[in-house]
Amino acid sequence: MWKEIGDRERGILRPKSFTTRIKSNRIRTLQISNHKDIVSPHRASINSLQVDLTEGRYLLSGAADASAAVYDVQRATDYEGGGLIAKHKCLFVVDKQHEHGHKYAISSAIWYPVDTGLFITGSHDHHINVWDTNTTQVVMNFKMPGKVYRTAMSSLATSHMLIAAGTEDVQVRLCDIASGAFSHTLSGHRDGVMTVEWSTSSEWVLVTGGCDGAIRFWDIRRAGCFLVLDQSHSQLGRRPTIPEHSSTNKALTSKSLSSGQNLNAKLRAQQRKLANGNGTKQSPVGRMPAKGTLRQRLHPGMLSSLDRATAHYGAVTGLKATEDGMYLLSAGSDSRLRLWDVESGCNTLVNFETVRLQAGKPIQLATSQDSALVFVPCMTAVKAFDVWSGNTSQTFRGHYEYVNSCWFSSQEQELYTGGNDKQILVWSPSRLIADEVDEGPAQDRDNWSD
Amino acid sequence: MDKTSEEASSKGKKRQRDQQPTDPQTNQLHHQILSLEDNLSFTDTLVALRMMRAQFPRIDKVSIQPFILRSQLYSSVKDRTQVDRELESLRREKVVRIFKLNTGQDDHAVMFFDDYLNQMENVVKRLEEKEGDLEVFKWFRTQVIDSKLEPSIEHQELYTLLSLGGMVKDGHISLLINAGLLILKSVVLWSFSVLASYTRQLIDPNMYWFAIPNIGSVLKGLSQGRKEVLSFLNRRRYKEMMLASMEKKRLRFSPLDMRFHLRDLIGSGHLKTVQTSTGLLVRVSKD
Repeated sequence: MWKEIGDRERGILRPKSFTTRIKSNRIRTLQISNHKDIVSPHRASINSLQVDLTEGRYLLSGAADASAAVYDVQRATDYEGGGLIAKHKCLFVVDKQHEHGHKYAISSAIWYPVDTGLFITGSHDHHINVWDTNTTQVVMNFKMPGKVYRTAMSSLATSHMLIAAGTEDVQVRLCDIASGAFSHTLSGHRDGVMTVEWSTSSEWVLVTGGCDGAIRFWDIRRAGCFLVLDQSHSQLGRRPTIPEHSSTNKALTSKSLSSGQNLNAKLRAQQRKLANGNGTKQSPVGRMPAKGTLRQRLHPGMLSSLDRATAHYGAVTGLKATEDGMYLLSAGSDSRLRLWDVESGCNTLVNFETVRLQAGKPIQLATSQDSALVFVPCMTAVKAFDVWSGNTSQTFRGHYEYVNSCWFSSQEQELYTGGNDKQILVWSPSRLIADEVDEGPAQDRDNWSD
Repeated sequence: MDKTSEEASSKGKKRQRDQQPTDPQTNQLHHQILSLEDNLSFTDTLVALRMMRAQFPRIDKVSIQPFILRSQLYSSVKDRTQVDRELESLRREKVVRIFKLNTGQDDHAVMFFDDYLNQMENVVKRLEEKEGDLEVFKWFRTQVIDSKLEPSIEHQELYTLLSLGGMVKDGHISLLINAGLLILKSVVLWSFSVLASYTRQLIDPNMYWFAIPNIGSVLKGLSQGRKEVLSFLNRRRYKEMMLASMEKKRLRFSPLDMRFHLRDLIGSGHLKTVQTSTGLLVRVSKD
């Protein structure tokens, strides 16, 4: 450690690599915190956790008893154990008693990405509320056609303030805070949408995962999705191989091209074939002729709704994009975690050793700051996997029941996890108790004689 | 040459268990490795595949070609990502074919291409005695199997590929389904949720899974055998047993042998092995 500081002084070690080294060392020693405790006022399972993106100071949690609470994770409200354990009580809590509060479980609570003046909660009572943090009043309310599973706002957006909402309904709705109305809907999924995430590289791209197992990429400026991830399209490695001039490799590259382009060409060809063969062919299942005419009537941008490629053999329960926007991690109810290359739309075939993942509820994944580790709630434990090799790096066991969400704060290198046992646990790098004691009032033992 | 001995020693742990099988089997394995060695390159997964293919248990009632489950590969090769990637490249080179099984979560069976073609031949031969119209199987074999390497296929694509052989009628596709070569894809929604009341099933009329014909009874034996092994270990006081003594047990409900099931359960994470001073211990994993 001292040698590294010396190297940094002399300029042998660059500042960025110095900080990354220290941060990754701290992450490697993550364990349940012995000096920090968050006192959760919730009386039901915690569904969503988020630390605000501007200061990294306030933690927002949403629970199944329709309560949402905010905690300050940097300054404790009081100390216990002789000043050694910092207790963080909530700054305020909004629950069912609030006049405009939610009536059923809150499934998603997120901060407004620009500042902490607003936060947005989505609940199973079909409503999305936008709250003013300082007055804890609801300033805007959106009614959805079904239970809201996830809400998301883009942290990169400079020209729009849209909340993307994934609900039980097959359509993804975009709600505009500026106007108070719905801006548009995105259709294509064949069942409810469990997870929505904005892309970390473009403010116009939204990724959604549905209960039908499909992951779709939408550009909100256009109709229809431009990419549907298919788990059978795979590439062997982080990026697709550079094509050589041989027939086998041509097949490889055609598979690894963005499936959107191939898809449209294939469907147009099929459309033509159907138009010719519709009269003579009798389908074994009576839906085919109707399908044929339906295809011909669809707008070319909507052809993607016919693509039935699935990314998982069950519902997609969690999505997380890496910070550079090049890779996407998805968790499914088939207990598989997959890493996708966004550019080529292929499965990179990294195998994460997950035995069972919680199905039936959306889970929240977290990545460490340079996206080398991904924290996944696996039943009652949280496992940290190395993103590129799929090996389990650490297992965090502490919750008594299933873990629903985790959030990694890269400023403090701390992990916050919330689960069905109504607790929010803090996992921080190990700190010697001796350091804390030194900060206390030091007795001046030398001052015994005048 | 060096690679085989190295792999054999790295699998020394597995070899120890294999001291039990009879000599003809090991001789057969030895012979196989020698003969294939000249033709194909070795990857770790390929060696594991061949070893397990040679150790596939003989089932008297059903004639079935050896297949390997994906979870068995995970238990015999250390790096799972490497297994996935090598399987993918083997599949693309048409050395093996991967089928999705309907026994529970994400089960895949890997079968060597030639074994699959042999299996198809056996089925077609048996059907030949009953009906005459068998050109569709020829078309299936030449047009579809060769070109479509994924485990599932869309109806439209199947139709177009078969018609490259000749005039296709709907009766032909039902023949294929009856022979067990194709299965209608049913999208099961929410089937893995803890609350079973939420299961919904949609039959997707446009997609088919490729399937191994005549495998039904073996699959039933597979799921029953899994349950039997797990319940046997769960009934014990400490939910564990020495691997050596477990292997000697015979299963009542499954035609597949104990070694097959152990590999499968260890690879899928239901059981874990612990090295002790007296040998390997098999324990039910709690997670």
